[in-house]
This record gives sequence, C-alpha cells and structure tokens, in this order.
Amino acid sequence: MDGAAPPPAPREGRRRCLVGIALAGWLLLPWLAGGGAVVAVAQDRRYTVAFANLTEEPGATLEGTGFTGREVRESFALAVRRYPIDLVFYDNHRDPQKALANVEDAVKRKVDLYIQYLDDPATNVKIGQSLRAAGIRPLAINTPVPDAPLYTMDNRAAGRLAGEALSEYGAKNWRGLPTIGVVVGNLRAQEYRIPDRAQGASEGLKRQLPALKITALDTQGNPAQVGALLARMLTANPAAKVLIAAMDDTSALAAKSALESAGRLADGAIVGQGVDRSVHGGMNERKEIDPSNRGSIVIGSVAFYLDRYGYEVLPIAMRMLRGETVPARTVTAHRLITAANVFIEYPPYDMN
Amino acid sequence: MRLKALFVVTLMLAGLIASAPVVLAQSDCTKIVPPSPWGPNDQTGATNRVTPAVTKAAAAEIKDGKVVVMSYPLTDGVPLFGTRFTKTILTATSLAPGAAFGENQLTYMEDTWLSQSHVGTHLDGLGHIGRKDCYFNQIAMGKFINQNNMTKLGLEHLKSFATRGVLIDMVKVYQAAGKLKTNAACKKPCLDKGTVITKADLEAGLKMYNVTLREADIVIIHTGWGNLFEQFPAQNAVYNSGAPGIGKEAANWLVSQKIVAVGTDTWVVEVIPGEDPKEAFIVHNILITDAGIHIIENVRTDLMAAEADQTKRATFFFSMTVPKAVGLTGNFVAIEGIR
Repeated sequence: MDGAAPPPAPREGRRRCLVGIALAGWLLLPWLAGGGAVVAVAQDRRYTVAFANLTEEPGATLEGTGFTGREVRESFALAVRRYPIDLVFYDNHRDPQKALANVEDAVKRKVDLYIQYLDDPATNVKIGQSLRAAGIRPLAINTPVPDAPLYTMDNRAAGRLAGEALSEYGAKNWRGLPTIGVVVGNLRAQEYRIPDRAQGASEGLKRQLPALKITALDTQGNPAQVGALLARMLTANPAAKVLIAAMDDTSALAAKSALESAGRLADGAIVGQGVDRSVHGGMNERKEIDPSNRGSIVIGSVAFYLDRYGYEVLPIAMRMLRGETVPARTVTAHRLITAANVFIEYPPYDMN
Repeated sequence: MRLKALFVVTLMLAGLIASAPVVLAQSDCTKIVPPSPWGPNDQTGATNRVTPAVTKAAAAEIKDGKVVVMSYPLTDGVPLFGTRFTKTILTATSLAPGAAFGENQLTYMEDTWLSQSHVGTHLDGLGHIGRKDCYFNQIAMGKFINQNNMTKLGLEHLKSFATRGVLIDMVKVYQAAGKLKTNAACKKPCLDKGTVITKADLEAGLKMYNVTLREADIVIIHTGWGNLFEQFPAQNAVYNSGAPGIGKEAANWLVSQKIVAVGTDTWVVEVIPGEDPKEAFIVHNILITDAGIHIIENVRTDLMAAEADQTKRATFFFSMTVPKAVGLTGNFVAIEGIR
C-alpha cells in the first residue's frame, strides 16, 4: 500500500493561471504544431513490415564478409524494439522461387511495407511489380528493386578506406624502403562486388604512395590459398615491406599467419574488410582488433555493419510508413575500425 | 664559447622537459556530468535522501515481522562475468591433533576470501561507472585513484539504505498485457533477454499493486530472469548472454522519481542488448554517473514477488547493509525485505 501524502494544493490564483495556460496551449496546439497532431496520431499506429532476408542458412556468409544472415535478422529483431512495427520475417534462401513465394504470402497478409534483400536483379523486378500491384511499398537492400529506395554498402569506398589507411601507414613508417602493395581475396567475385572493393583498395594504396606497385592475389574464394599465394610473393621479395589490403577479415587473419610463418611479421601491415566477430569481440575475448593489441600488424578493418542493418534500414522504413520522402539511395557509412576505436564502435558487454 | 655553453644548456633543458612525467589531459567534467543536487563536495549521492523520517516511514511497512530473503548465495558456480572470480580458502589448522589451545581445547577457523567486489548480489557504488574520466558529481576520477582504491566516491561515503522497498512484478505486467515472451531456459515465466522495460511498464506494475513511488524508495524489478541464476551453473551462459531490463526512458523516469536505488534479478538491471548498439551500459551512466542512484544486481526477487502476489502488497522495509569499505566501487550485499 502506498502511504505517500498527497502533494500540497497550489494557491487558488496560481491554479487558475495554470489551468488557463494549459487550456490555451491545448487549443493552440494544432495551429502551433502544423501537422504535428496528425503525425502524433500516425506514430501511434502499429505497422506490419515484412523483411525477406537474403539467406539464413547456418554458416552461409553474406556479401563477401564474415557476417551471416542470422546476424542480419537479429539486428532487425533488436532494432524494431524502438518502433511501432510488427516484423514478419521471411528467408529468401537466395532462391528466386522462394523469394516470389514470400512476397505472395506478404501480399496476402497485407503488410504495410516490404523490405527485400535478394541479390537477383531479375527477380527483384518481378517482386517490385507484385508489390506495386498490391499497393505495398518496397525497400531494397544492396540489390535494387525498381523505383524502391535502396540501402546499400559502398564497396569501392570501403576498399578505398582500407587502401588509404595502408598508404598512410607505409608513408609514415617505411618511407624510402622498398614497399609493395597487395590486394588479396576472392577478387573476381562479382556477385559480392569484390572487384569494386579491390579497385577502391588499389586507389587508396596509391593515395600517399603513387609509385607503389600493387600485386593482385586471387584466392578464388578459398581463404586457405592466402598463405600459399603470399608465401610465394614474400619469397620473391625478401627485402620488401608489404601493405596488404585483404578483401575480408578471414583473408586478413590468414595473411597475418602467412607473414608469421615466413618470419616476416615486421615487414607487413594488413587491413581487412567487414569487422565481423572473427576479428573483434568482448573485452575478455582478446580478438585481433582489440585495445590491448595495438601493436598488431592487422592495423584495422573496414566496417560493413551487416549486424546493424536493422538499425540502419528500419528508420528509413519508418519514414516511408509515415509518408515522408526518403533518399533514393542510402549508403552504409563505412569506417575504419582499429584497436583505438573498436570498443567505441562496438562496445563490449561482457562486463557490468 | 658563450654561444656553445648556451647551446648545451638549451639542450639540457630540452632533455629535462622531454623526460618530465607525462601529464595526461583531463576532461572538463563540468561539461560531461551534471553537478550533484547535494552540493559540490557531495560523495554520497542518493542515500542523502534516506533521512530519519524516511526510515521511520519505511518502518511502517513492517506489519508482522516476516523476513523475505532477497539475495542469492555467493558460492562456487554462480554466474560471474568475464574474468571475475570469488574464492574462499578455509584456515582450519587448529583442528589438527594437538593444535588446540589451552585446557579448554579451543580451536578456531577463519577464511581468506579472494573475491572481486561486483559478484553475486551486489551494489554498484558511485565510483563504479563514469563517462570518460568523469564520475558522479563531476569528479575527475583520474586524480583520485591509486593502485588499491579510489580516494573519492568510495562506499564509506554512503548513508543508510533503510528505506521503503517497492517490488514491481514485470512478469505479471507482461502476462496481463499478453506480451510475455519467455525464454525456454527459464523454468518459471521470465521476460526474455533484450526486452526493453519502459516507463509505461513500470507504471503498469505500480498500478497493479496501487503503489505510487515516493522520494527515497528503492525499486526492485522482478523479471523472472533470475531463475537462470538459480539454476547455476547449468544456465550461466544463457544468464550472462543478455538480460531483460529498463531502457533509457524508464531510467530517466526513475531518476525523476528521486529514488535511492534500483535492483533487478539480472546481472545488469538495464536491457542487454541495449537499445542503441553504439551505446555501452547507458542506463548505468544515467543512474549512477548522472544521478548518484545505485544499481543493485542479481537481486533475488522471486520470493518477494510471490509474497506480493499472495498478499496484494508490494512494499516492504528494505534492509541492506553495505560495508564501510574505503575506496571500493561496489560490494556484495545481503538484502532482506521485512514485512
């Protein structure tokens, strides 16, 4: 039971004045706020939004990074807590037929908005048509749906960030020493836009070292090849310093192992792509990119934030649901993550 | 010659300056943390609210003297975070034959307790959480620490916690609203990890037992997540993997209610994963750093929740003592709710 005494009554004159102000405010509110009252009502409504994920196959990684579909899905499940949205999850299984069946189901459910994540432009055209016919607005991730706002990564910008970081490192630490640049990874994987990433990396590497010779090492999708490819290159260049732009974090870690095996750790600097959990973690996990590991030759990795897609995409969806105009294209704000900022960007919560 | 001497002296001075101890730039804490409402020298925080009148009013909660346990056992195997540890070593040498003292054959035993302070049911003190190097009441903590402890904001500055406790049964609130999504590992209904407890949820919980918070109350939230602690060590990993808890809005509302502390049956009080993935334990900042309000973690809430359900009364006399441990950031505590 509550034993709290009631608050003292205000003096009568003061009370009248407060009531008057409150009444005037209530009457003037629509005029003062313009459409504010309408927005407030709209915000109270709950929406049903479908999210059709690229694939949630266990272990299958997305976009040439180490992230999985499960991480993408979890980010949506967590981010939706902020919004008056009920999410309906679909798994496209990277399969056009399944994707079409998903959209059919969503149309039957009369969802308010459909978030499509499928790397098949032709199927996305059909899906866009089905949604438009049903009066449902689409929002696309990474692969366009015609006339739908697109949220997408920028592989070239991400590659350039990595290249520039390496270039700066080389210019600062190895000026005047023989230095070569290496771009290593699944270089011809057009479906993951790795060629864009590699091109950006090459551009970045030359930023402060315009005369740098760059060697491309294509693993053809097998990170185990990184060791062999790099070993040959290191043997052929016994006195050279090596700036390595790895196209994913697994390749970055493999490159470090290769340098270690060759006894050449002091000759290398590596930047990866992705910032998945293989390179960073909690404060007691001591992964490669960690404040306590500032001396690592893996000087960083460029964040792709697939584990935050929900937090990036749902605000766009919410604006669309409220009838606001959204940009035709929203690009991931890629960032270089290093030992110095990893805990700021990815706060650990294995302490309290 | 004179020029040469001047050059040498300049070089020596430059060397001296270079070898001087590095003084780290400190933050301007007046721009990072609000001042304490209890003045610039305050190191006590919210327990300033526990006045004799508050304790006397809280004593009215004791109707029949029933004592309800509200802390978990602190023993090997309970969930601990990361590298945290707690270990006891028993000294029992006098039990050996011939080792007893005197004609009365006195024997004795003692313990050595090697433990970190934030283990088991424990209180987060005001020196536990800061923003940059700035702690409660704009204290630039970098100037007040040594190898062993803090020289400001230690537990010795806290006043009494003898006040009214208010239980908010969030499991009942979520059940009543038809939105309870339990975790399969909980043997009794629980809110799942990541569930954000809002201001509206807290208000619904208070309304359920017809309680209005008053200044100096201690709010205890039953989420059911503590059932995983009770299953130690089987569910330690699940318990530590996240938690239901209050979000920022609820935390700010609790601050506005001028309470002394908030505790839950989780390891963290706030929701994990948090509402914004770029923020770290933001509710700790809101409560401890900015408002001097304590957090109590791993509180055993199920017994009081059952008691409240049975008697339709959710308030009690909150009995908890905190050792005057000089310079400590927190400590394990024993809590009893007396009715």
